[in-house]
Amino acid sequence: MSRPRSQAEYLARLVPPSVAGLNRRSLLAGAAGTGALLGTGLLAGCGDSGSGSGSDSKTVSVGSNQSDPKPKDVIAKVMAGFQTASGIQPAVNTVDHNTFQENINNYLQGKPDDVFMWFAGYRMRFFAAKGLAGDVSDVWGKLSGYSDAFKKASTGDDGKQYFVPASYYPWAVFYRKSVWQQRGYQVPKTLDELNILGAQMKKDGLNPIAFADKDGWPAMGTFDILNLRINGYQFHIDLMAGKEAWTSDKVKKVFDAWAGLLPLHQPDALGRTWQEAAQSLQQKKSGMYLLGLFVAQQFNNDEQDDLDFFTFPEIDSTIGAKALDAPIDGYMMARKPKSEANAKKLLEYVGSKDAANITVKNDPSTLVANTGADTSGYTALQKKAADLVGSATEIAQFLDRDTRPDFASTVIIPALQQFIKNPKDIGGLLTSIENQKKSIFTD
Amino acid sequence: MSTATLTREPAAAAPAGRRKPVRPARVALHLFLGAVAVGWLFPILWAVLTSLRSYQYTAANGYVSLGGWTFDNYVTAWRTAEFGKHFLNSVYITVPAVLLTLFLASCVAFVIARFSWKLNIVLLGLFTAANLLPQQALLIPLFRLFTQVPLPEFMSDSEVLYDSYWGLILVNVAFQCGFCVFVLSNYMKALPHELYEAAMVDGASVWRQYWQVTMPLCRPALAALATLEVTWIYNEFFWATVLMRTGDKFPVTSSLNNLRGEFFTDNNLVSAGSVLVAIPTLVIFFLLQKQFVRGLTLGASKG
Repeated sequence: MSRPRSQAEYLARLVPPSVAGLNRRSLLAGAAGTGALLGTGLLAGCGDSGSGSGSDSKTVSVGSNQSDPKPKDVIAKVMAGFQTASGIQPAVNTVDHNTFQENINNYLQGKPDDVFMWFAGYRMRFFAAKGLAGDVSDVWGKLSGYSDAFKKASTGDDGKQYFVPASYYPWAVFYRKSVWQQRGYQVPKTLDELNILGAQMKKDGLNPIAFADKDGWPAMGTFDILNLRINGYQFHIDLMAGKEAWTSDKVKKVFDAWAGLLPLHQPDALGRTWQEAAQSLQQKKSGMYLLGLFVAQQFNNDEQDDLDFFTFPEIDSTIGAKALDAPIDGYMMARKPKSEANAKKLLEYVGSKDAANITVKNDPSTLVANTGADTSGYTALQKKAADLVGSATEIAQFLDRDTRPDFASTVIIPALQQFIKNPKDIGGLLTSIENQKKSIFTD
Repeated sequence: MSTATLTREPAAAAPAGRRKPVRPARVALHLFLGAVAVGWLFPILWAVLTSLRSYQYTAANGYVSLGGWTFDNYVTAWRTAEFGKHFLNSVYITVPAVLLTLFLASCVAFVIARFSWKLNIVLLGLFTAANLLPQQALLIPLFRLFTQVPLPEFMSDSEVLYDSYWGLILVNVAFQCGFCVFVLSNYMKALPHELYEAAMVDGASVWRQYWQVTMPLCRPALAALATLEVTWIYNEFFWATVLMRTGDKFPVTSSLNNLRGEFFTDNNLVSAGSVLVAIPTLVIFFLLQKQFVRGLTLGASKG
């Protein structure tokens, strides 16, 4: 695979693995990959194209990547709520999650919908910096119920807001209450306690920590949390932005700690998908699993109440255990929407309590970003997750959303997989990452 | 009638008894052919097999097991991916594209085959060479072009070629013409020249020579090409994905992606969807096999 030359080329051709979560064996992956690789990426170099003239029509179009049945249904209900509230007719254009992502670059440069769904953090800032997204700072003036962490995640490099958060989910260590009660396990508060617990689980015939990295992205979660615990949020973000050296002792310490924990992880992780790892937790063969809240999808309805989690324990007491990964999904506005007023009205609505309430009522698998929403409909797990994120001092977006997607996919995925295969040569691995980083972070 | 068949049977059986001894080369050939056949059939059969099993069962027992039979995957796939709508989209694109390709290609082929002028070979070369261009390399100019070419609103709600069926039809016609011109011109060259002399003596215009003399004679070639083109254009995935942005307008091949979840992909469901999408091509292939195979060699030799 030849390496594209510009940042934009990279961005368009890569499937962000954390969100894609797709199984590479699926029949279409190859075709889709080729399409994205050869097609969309190259467009980035092109300039802009004419956009429709302003009109005072009563419609607004929404590009949605929520193609799974349940979220799709929720979006339909939120849009119906918007129509009732404003009298403006929203037209939802749903494109499947992965295709939407692969095509985002030519989507934005072609004729994008007035409002479209996207991700917070680096991914949003990237398009904002390219001038492909509309400034929605004045919408933020009318929004309420968002914590500063969410506002920060919605702000572009120029200090303006380009994003309205809608939902998010945290990464944490999940376990089955029944297993832990039966064996008398306690939630570990420090790394030492985690090690002791792991040793005990091994003795009891369990895999202490379920682990899978066949698709490349799940291991990023482990790296993120270790780096956040050992070096703190700011270092993590700077490292992701290419400002810190991967060869530094700080990063080496992260991998050393990981290497120490690897014996507690399920072996042969590279041949396993996260679904399979989650099933080992569900089948009570593994003791715990560090993953996103979506792990619950692998549990039957009657087992949902048996699922619990804790945030990854503290490693360095001066840094604490308050930062975590919690990817945020939300809405952005096109650069030149057909009707800016309507688009902003829609953004205001989807950021409102009303929209959040509709989401809470209809989808038990997400958390809504607006803290003003009525969350009495949350399950115990959701409540706990919301509390966890609410108490977080800093929220990272997950490795592949916090850094250049090309760096995440072409450098970090193979590097982490190599590390899992051979955890001995950390020095060589980090040198190789650093060298590749320098060739990617050029501007 | 019945006696005739009866008396014939021993005669037919006789040569079989005198068959030559089996040679090792022949065994090797059949082993090879068998292996190739398995290699080609395996993925399809595997997909069919997988599509008929429930995810819960395969998740618990692995794919190398038997059981968990269900037909639900097909029902779910049809519903979630909205195949009904997308099949219709494929028809909107495929039918006009095939008809237009055949018409335009036959026009060019007729001129190349029947008229002697300086640029004959150049023209044929041009059309054939277009086959060699990697389509993806043309994406950027095409994409830019398509976003600039306006269409009236009654033709497409996007008001440009981009994100319209017209655009996709045009792209497919453009890319398929080269091959069709090549095949048809060689076929037409093989038609006896006397026919045209006779037609000219009778005062037939060029158009009549084309439409009433050449086209009826080209029916086998056109049938073969139509079969091939329907399959190719129907299977086309790349352009539909990059030149469309409205999910509801995607043809069925691109809409197969709808079955992939955000975090989770049910392979059994995707298999069922793939089998559904493959059915039209399989039907066309099995019904029109003869034309299909002939189409590949048509015009390969001039009579």
